[in-house]
Amino acid sequence: MTTKGGQQRARHARRVTGCATAGLLLAGCTAPGASTGNGDNDEGATSLTVWVDSTRTPGVERYMEEHPDVDIRMTTIPSDPGYVLTQISLANQAEDGWPDVVFLNTPEDVASLAAPPFDFAAPLSELVDDEIVDGFVEGSLSGCTFSDVLYCLRNDIGQTVLWYNQALMDEFGYEVPQTWADYGALGERVAAEHPGYIIGGLSGKWGAGVYFESSGCPTRDVVDLTTVRIDTSDPGCVRAAELLDPLLANGSVSTLSPSDPAFAQIGQENRILMLPAASWYGEHRFKAAYESPAGEMAAAPMPTWEGEDVPYSGSVGGGAFVVSRHSAHMDAAVDFATWMTTDVDHQSEQPTYPAFAEAAEAWGAARAEDPFYAEDPFPVMKEQAPLIRDTFGWVRYANEWNNIFNETVVAAAGSPDPLIEAVEVWGSRLTEAAESTDYEVTR
Amino acid sequence: MTETEIAGRPPAGTDGRARRRAPETGREARVLARRRRRRLAPYVFVAPYALFLVGFGIAPAVYGFYTSLFTDDTDAGTTFAPLTNWGEVLTDYRLADSARNVATYVALWLPSMLVLIFAIALVLHARPGRFAAAMRLVYYVPGAITGSAAALLWLFMVSPQVSPFSPLLDLLGVENATEAVSGNTPLILALMGIAIHAGGWILIVYAALAALPRDVLEAAVIDGASSWQVAMRVKFPMVSRYAALILIATFAAGTQVFVEPTVLATGVPGQISSTWSINQLAYYYATQQGDFGKAAALSLALLLVGLVVALFVIYRTKFYRIDRGLS
Repeated sequence: MTTKGGQQRARHARRVTGCATAGLLLAGCTAPGASTGNGDNDEGATSLTVWVDSTRTPGVERYMEEHPDVDIRMTTIPSDPGYVLTQISLANQAEDGWPDVVFLNTPEDVASLAAPPFDFAAPLSELVDDEIVDGFVEGSLSGCTFSDVLYCLRNDIGQTVLWYNQALMDEFGYEVPQTWADYGALGERVAAEHPGYIIGGLSGKWGAGVYFESSGCPTRDVVDLTTVRIDTSDPGCVRAAELLDPLLANGSVSTLSPSDPAFAQIGQENRILMLPAASWYGEHRFKAAYESPAGEMAAAPMPTWEGEDVPYSGSVGGGAFVVSRHSAHMDAAVDFATWMTTDVDHQSEQPTYPAFAEAAEAWGAARAEDPFYAEDPFPVMKEQAPLIRDTFGWVRYANEWNNIFNETVVAAAGSPDPLIEAVEVWGSRLTEAAESTDYEVTR
Repeated sequence: MTETEIAGRPPAGTDGRARRRAPETGREARVLARRRRRRLAPYVFVAPYALFLVGFGIAPAVYGFYTSLFTDDTDAGTTFAPLTNWGEVLTDYRLADSARNVATYVALWLPSMLVLIFAIALVLHARPGRFAAAMRLVYYVPGAITGSAAALLWLFMVSPQVSPFSPLLDLLGVENATEAVSGNTPLILALMGIAIHAGGWILIVYAALAALPRDVLEAAVIDGASSWQVAMRVKFPMVSRYAALILIATFAAGTQVFVEPTVLATGVPGQISSTWSINQLAYYYATQQGDFGKAAALSLALLLVGLVVALFVIYRTKFYRIDRGLS
């Protein structure tokens, strides 16, 4: 039974008691730094409430300097997965306190924010010029697009490349593999000749995003906002699992999370021979966390899978900006999100690979002389940027995608059974996860 | 015999009916007023608790029940569907895993903690003195670190790179925090739970032991009972009902575990599911799926489990029988 009265009653009751419930949940009714007057349109002054993570704050400060007519209220939010959804969920419940623009560290959240019950992300197709949309790296906005409607602007992309230690490869007399078959063969040699060195990592979104997504294993192939294709019996899944079986058994592919201190220790002991991983690993991981020696790391194109000649990338990370459909200053909000993602000067200073093509060129030029790399990694990154497999979509069950992968595939890494068995369990549990987040699953 | 002594004497004023009536009519009004005040006194004492119970316990539960009756649908909007949320929650593919995680945790935690509490309290009471007093404080110290702080602390404890127990972890073949946590989460949470909660209960059980009538204990010793026999045959039966109290108070906390796995998960990304416990699953519905109806239904289901177990324990142990016997 659907009644308008019932709906209003529910709304009213929620509004009255929403604060109490929210308070019990998080000991606070208002989302942090929420604009309390989204609806109160101040004459003249344009005020925007923006939520960004700490990496994005210098950019916002710069925007404020260059746009003194816009009153920006910036809130720095943590980059924890789920944080934005939690806050938007509470704001929805209170029907107040939404930001005008929010940065998503886990861009998959846009799949939740664009659909009911969140209904937060504003459709941007009509609001952003085609010229600007066309300026983004090919395919980089596909995650933001559902049924041809654009719901976010991409800040940076996490296309994967094959990172390798050139000095070690030369020392051991190895060649950088061009196919995954070569990669597998090299893994066997490394395990035999130089045990303790690793050529990859399987854990979580990093492993799944690198091996299974570059192989085109459909586990999150978005058809539209309510339809997704999941089929772990696809040859794309089988070949990735078969590649990994011997490499996990001989230890040349680690099952540690790349953010685990123990993994960082492998890096600090300079035992990472190769690591297929996101473009941002150079700055964030090899340079900062793994303390790789200067002048040794380089990036190569991803290996190609059997029967293909395109070195497809997987994808890990890459943020996006979402504009609120509740914003009272829609034009200003869109302008802000556009500036943050496409301003060449600003983007060229970001630590991650810009999604806007012109900015990416400037970003690359700024890094060409970096003595940390054995050779300029930018040409490879640029080559890989449009090659992210189109089966890698943004879904509402992205968190489960990561967790269940660990619980099934990574957990099975030590067992003698073929990995594909665990991959199939991953698939069937993903189907449940997708269905519970309002997807219809096709094969 | 012992029951009345444990309970102590009832407050003098509560049994007004037993008092003799005042003969003079002039003083009767005053007496009546005093009697009325005395009748009201307990309500005044209970009022602050009752207000909070209604405001922060019963009202949210009633609102939760109301919320659980509605579903938000893409096409239909908010719909009155009294059983849909309950049905979907109870058949959710994650619920079995979460319930198993929580059951394992509670099964590891509660019995071992109960044994530990009584063992330590009885030992402390058997050998009173300065050493016992110092130890009481020592046992209490870990309880000063609770919830999220404790989870962070334990994250360090199980990370061989930084743990003071790294030789022990080496011995167990644990090379990194991921290995320590994956698969052992219930055990780590149980250890954490014991460290946090045991100290406070040891103090309470010790205090109960200290209040036992000395003549009974002396009589037992004169009758030739050993320390062990005094502890197990005399002291323990007299304080055993504290086990029920501990069970009731901690069972609900155990089944509603939330903070510890949430914090522990931040240290080992992707190793502990964000729906590891039932309470986390309820939180997930509300915050990640924006579905407050399902969240309310699951929270109420948890509340029901806690209530049923509390009632079961109360009736099985005849928890309130003293009070009934006296009134």
